[in-house]
Amino acid sequence: MSKARCWIALLLALSLLLGGCWDRRELEERTSVLGMGIDLAKGKPNLLKVTVQIPIPIKIAGSGGQTGGKGGGSPVRVMSSTGHTVLEAISNLQKRLNQKIFIGHARVVAVSEEVARRGLREITDGFRRDPEMRRLLWPIVVKKDAAHLLKVKPKLEQIPIVYIMDMIESGTKTGSIPDQTLGNFYIQDSSRTMQPYLNYMVTHNDEIIWKGVAVFREDKMVGVLPELQTWVLNQLRDNKTGGDIVIAVPGKKGAYITVRPHFVRTKLKLEQAGNQTGSLQARYVCRLQCDLLEATFPLDFKDNGIIHKYEQIIRQEMEKRAAKLINMLQKDFKSDILKLGLAIHGHHYRDYWVSHNWVEEFPRFPISVQYDVHIRRIGMKMK
Amino acid sequence: MSRNQSSSTDKTMSTWQLASLITSTLIGVGVLTLPRTSTERLAEQGWMAPLAGGGIALAATLLIAWLSRRYPGLTFIQYSEVIWGSRKSRWLGKLISLPWVLLYLAHLYIGTAITSRLFGEVVVTAVLRETPIEAIIITMFCLALFLCLHDVEVVSRVNELLFLLILFPVLIIGLLSFQKADWNQILPLFSASFPDVFKGAVETAFTYQGYEVMLIFFAFAQPVARKSQAGFIGIAVAIGVYTLITMSGIAVFGVDEMQKLTWPTLEIVKTTQMPGLVLERLESAFLGVWVAAVFTTISNTYYAFNLGLRQFFGRGMVFQRIMSLLLMFPLFYLALIPQNIVQIFRVSRMSGYIGLVVGLGLPLLYLAVSLMRRQGNRVKEKGKVAR
Repeated sequence: MSKARCWIALLLALSLLLGGCWDRRELEERTSVLGMGIDLAKGKPNLLKVTVQIPIPIKIAGSGGQTGGKGGGSPVRVMSSTGHTVLEAISNLQKRLNQKIFIGHARVVAVSEEVARRGLREITDGFRRDPEMRRLLWPIVVKKDAAHLLKVKPKLEQIPIVYIMDMIESGTKTGSIPDQTLGNFYIQDSSRTMQPYLNYMVTHNDEIIWKGVAVFREDKMVGVLPELQTWVLNQLRDNKTGGDIVIAVPGKKGAYITVRPHFVRTKLKLEQAGNQTGSLQARYVCRLQCDLLEATFPLDFKDNGIIHKYEQIIRQEMEKRAAKLINMLQKDFKSDILKLGLAIHGHHYRDYWVSHNWVEEFPRFPISVQYDVHIRRIGMKMK
Repeated sequence: MSRNQSSSTDKTMSTWQLASLITSTLIGVGVLTLPRTSTERLAEQGWMAPLAGGGIALAATLLIAWLSRRYPGLTFIQYSEVIWGSRKSRWLGKLISLPWVLLYLAHLYIGTAITSRLFGEVVVTAVLRETPIEAIIITMFCLALFLCLHDVEVVSRVNELLFLLILFPVLIIGLLSFQKADWNQILPLFSASFPDVFKGAVETAFTYQGYEVMLIFFAFAQPVARKSQAGFIGIAVAIGVYTLITMSGIAVFGVDEMQKLTWPTLEIVKTTQMPGLVLERLESAFLGVWVAAVFTTISNTYYAFNLGLRQFFGRGMVFQRIMSLLLMFPLFYLALIPQNIVQIFRVSRMSGYIGLVVGLGLPLLYLAVSLMRRQGNRVKEKGKVAR
């Protein structure tokens, strides 16, 4: 008996040795980067300036008991460093920090428009190789200075990056901001059948404003798609609702009507164009169900045709917006961010894809968009 | 002699145990790269590679089961000398079968080394980045060694127990990842030619490696166990898992992105979110469970190797225990020979091709000889007499 007990005691003692971690690193032993901004260094065109936002745990209210948050000052530290590559800049930054930098917690990577126009592949390569980097973080393109985005103090959240993150997340939930994570960008960048795009933001003093999406060709940014067209893109590409539709009613001065789409279903029809074999055309049919939110003029629903009348007005407006979107993508950007190429590759592989070069073909590919608008509800007011 | 004893007293494996032994030996480190390797040639049609490759593995397993039915209770090592020799001169049989047996044992041994090295590489690149790879490999070897100290019955029980633990994470990940799938990515369905599908199937060989341990383990089946059925179930489950993972990889990432990923399955895990955000980062949890899958692969192969070795020399359990300990050291150095990850992938692909020769070629050859010499039944009667 006692011998058995000895054995058990020995085994238990040995298990203490097994419990350790080889590369243990405590949470407070590293500097977590929450957000990163990448710019070109001023005056030195081949240097990158990387700016990071680091939270200061003790200054975040609620974490440090009563003293926390009271001490004043910002709860984050923003630091910049330059280097030829992103990782060189980060290792330069490391020289100024007491703990090891950890970028695995980064939630937002902001890239200035300048950098985006030069191409993102060289920048994302290090991110791709790093197993700690999340594929679910939000990359965004900032109009001027990516560093400024990290310095903005929105005040509604303690940590500015969390503010930006929440902004994008709530936007993707309601369907107005496209769900463009880093992983999605990688996929679209690698694919032969589509082009990538990223959310585009503008900073203004203490404000951060979402301004549509930056359109890329390959990995280089080619232009900006404004909000209204981005919402159409959301509807056509991902069946997302987009934002509220506000329309000036034609023929009436100062008369506006606002509807909110709550259900979108888009069907893409690929048909033979004319009677020529081997030629295709794409027809998007987008079914939009909306609720009436607001009308600045009296509406009398006793009139039977009235709902139909406004449905037609909205339909025309949406088709106009869509036509502008298609025109911009085909003529200005020459970039297929609609995933149209993917559908053609999938459904017309032998008769079209093999014999055509999609990148060259897209700008002159016939695309038409049809809307089918239904106003389902009018809210709590009848007349 | 001790070898006759071991084969007659240990017939404990049920049909289900045999099936789970096959599946858990198959599913291992290969799944982590499978979506990339199978789409390399076949692009959108990549999910057909594991299906077709599974067909080859299934055929091979059924051949092995057939062979085992002709020599019940005997392992590959034991019936080799029966097949090649005559009743009078056993040593002649032993001599002729020597190259085949050695090829088989060497294949198992090297296979163990490659699998453990690949596992170490995954862990070191993705989770424990500062840990020396040697520490991970040694830990894995210790587990395998521990299993080798026990009887075959323990092997079957361990596999039966871990079977669900291996299966569920992969299934859950596969199904969860469909949330992000874009099914247009998987179209067109038929773009590759038939020879390409066949070539793609052969290229998945490394992933399907492992069924050749059944050349040994089928000998320990209960007399009532149905070997072909077990082989069918075991391989079919693996085919299902592999096809699911490849499909979800293509549907989520698309073919072009997949080619850029070193460990595509791990990236699938990374992009997959649990509904309700219970676990935000699944990959560490996944790799934790994954250890079980790799453990069964490594230790089953190493066990089969040691068992074969012991029977080859006609020794007993003590010999197996000592040898499994001693051979661990060369195995360790063998695992560390490849200098970089690209080399390891090349070696593992080569090993897959050799595995085809061993797993499919050897049973075919043996069956042909056995059928020509009209053996089978004779041995069965002889076995009865001997008992």
